[in-house]
Amino acid sequence: MATTPDTNVNEAVASENASLQHINADYTERYGFHDAENYLYKAPKGLTRELVQKISEFKSEPQWMRDFRLKALDHFLARPMPTWGSPSLAEVDFDEIHYFVRASERSERSWDDVPEDVKKTFDRLGIPEAERKFLAGVGAQYESEVVYHQVNEQLEAQGVIFTDMDTALREHEDLVKQYFATIIPPNDNKLAALNSAVWSGGSFVYVPPGVHVEMPLQAYFRINTENMGQFERTLILADEGSYVHYVEGCTAPTYSSDSLHSAVVELIAKPGARIRYTTVQNWSNNVFNLVTKRAVAETDATVEWVDCNLGSKLTMKYPSVYLMGERAHGEILSIAFAGHGQHQDAGGKIVHAAPNTTSNIFAKSISKDGGRSSYRGLLEVAKGAHGSKSKVVCDALLLDEASRSDTYPTIRIGEDDVDVGHEATVSKVGEEQLFYLMSHGLGEEEASKLIVNGFIEPIVKELPMEYAVEMNRLIELQMEGSIG
Amino acid sequence: MADIIEICPLSELPPGARRIVEWEDLEIGVFNCAGELFAIEDRCSHDDGPLAEGEFDTDNCTVECPRHGSLFDLRTGKPKTLPAYVPVDTFPVVVEDDIVKLEVD
Repeated sequence: MATTPDTNVNEAVASENASLQHINADYTERYGFHDAENYLYKAPKGLTRELVQKISEFKSEPQWMRDFRLKALDHFLARPMPTWGSPSLAEVDFDEIHYFVRASERSERSWDDVPEDVKKTFDRLGIPEAERKFLAGVGAQYESEVVYHQVNEQLEAQGVIFTDMDTALREHEDLVKQYFATIIPPNDNKLAALNSAVWSGGSFVYVPPGVHVEMPLQAYFRINTENMGQFERTLILADEGSYVHYVEGCTAPTYSSDSLHSAVVELIAKPGARIRYTTVQNWSNNVFNLVTKRAVAETDATVEWVDCNLGSKLTMKYPSVYLMGERAHGEILSIAFAGHGQHQDAGGKIVHAAPNTTSNIFAKSISKDGGRSSYRGLLEVAKGAHGSKSKVVCDALLLDEASRSDTYPTIRIGEDDVDVGHEATVSKVGEEQLFYLMSHGLGEEEASKLIVNGFIEPIVKELPMEYAVEMNRLIELQMEGSIG
Repeated sequence: MADIIEICPLSELPPGARRIVEWEDLEIGVFNCAGELFAIEDRCSHDDGPLAEGEFDTDNCTVECPRHGSLFDLRTGKPKTLPAYVPVDTFPVVVEDDIVKLEVD
């Protein structure tokens, strides 16, 4: 018997639902739990010069890093809080944050050596089960420091370094010193200055020339304490002709007062290299997520940011790519989902600083239950960047009247012979679309989910399969009870 | 045709010192890096803010933009860190009869 369009739709929905079936818990049950605090050290709330020195002493850092931190602290204190972005930025209370919490003696390479409480948490979140299945390396950060780190032995034999940033500073100091903060200097902005002063944890990746890391490297970031500040620092260096895909995920317990996550991520793609950096951000709705991410792509290199923002109270994050060498390519794929009480201020920046460079920005946002999503982007073509091409597309989907979407695109073009396109759409889930799907036998909620899934599908399909399934689950979770 | 402008006696610009001078509509920073003199336009290529009053590192011969932290090599005018990526203008400096002079055009 030939299949009809009706059965096709039903099959699609049935398979969609099957993959999502076991997710009916809300965030609090699935990610929002917290453990008892058996910490080796927990700094009192507030940021002082003494604390910055103490963090550096704890880590037995070289003098240059201690000086770097203290200078960054001065920058942080001297700079005013940004007044753009979101009014809720003014609610961040820097005196109410714990800036450093040490949960474990050191970063372990064996899962058995990780403290029991911490291990349980990551087990519950599916790590390191995932490592055994499909990853080339895993790092797990709990509060301020990385508690577990492991990388595939074959990759290590090829010279790939994948470790936490604290260890990298001890074991690869020359490499760290050469590149650290060259992409994002401490005085770049107030939050980068804060991170530079109190940074702890994060990943360091070095891929030698010509080495292709076929399976992704993953880092998982977990906040446990109330009013915690997490300030990881990541540096990825892909040497000539190499390839690496780095994936990060993050969650936190649900508390009634706010936490702060402020990372700095620097990527360097040497000639002919390719870096893909995927984020699935799912912080609880009491986390301010204020992150600076920037990459440099040299000649013939490619950098791709795949940036999915589902959680947090406020996210302000604009991953950027500076195309510094001829024929370099930059790509930013961004999804933002803003539910009740959330503001996702996301987007991306591309700077064409060399001839014949190409780039794409595809941003999609969904707002529901009064949530607000903003696209904020910059596309710059510098003088001399002849023959550059870029396309920016940002689409917003509003699920109800109470929600809001804004677009703030900036385009600066310094040359004549370039090809730049910008498209933006804002749409609502229309009655006609719902009626069409419901006339094929779907319930209203299923129809609405199908429309949302179709909307984000072009970006979700770029995620590794396991993350695509997880992303669909998360969207499903966010959509629960959105109808009626 | 380049103009030569007199800045000051060399004794007033010892190693580690700097001086910001105006010439027509330009502001120029003149630096003494351990005995070698360099001059750059006092305007960061990132957002046109003042540059020469930033932190001066005589060992590495750099100046750091006070606004967003880009580090510029005083010898070449090239940025060593982002967010600036375009070099700033440099100007030849000479010392004649113990007077520091700047060549501008």
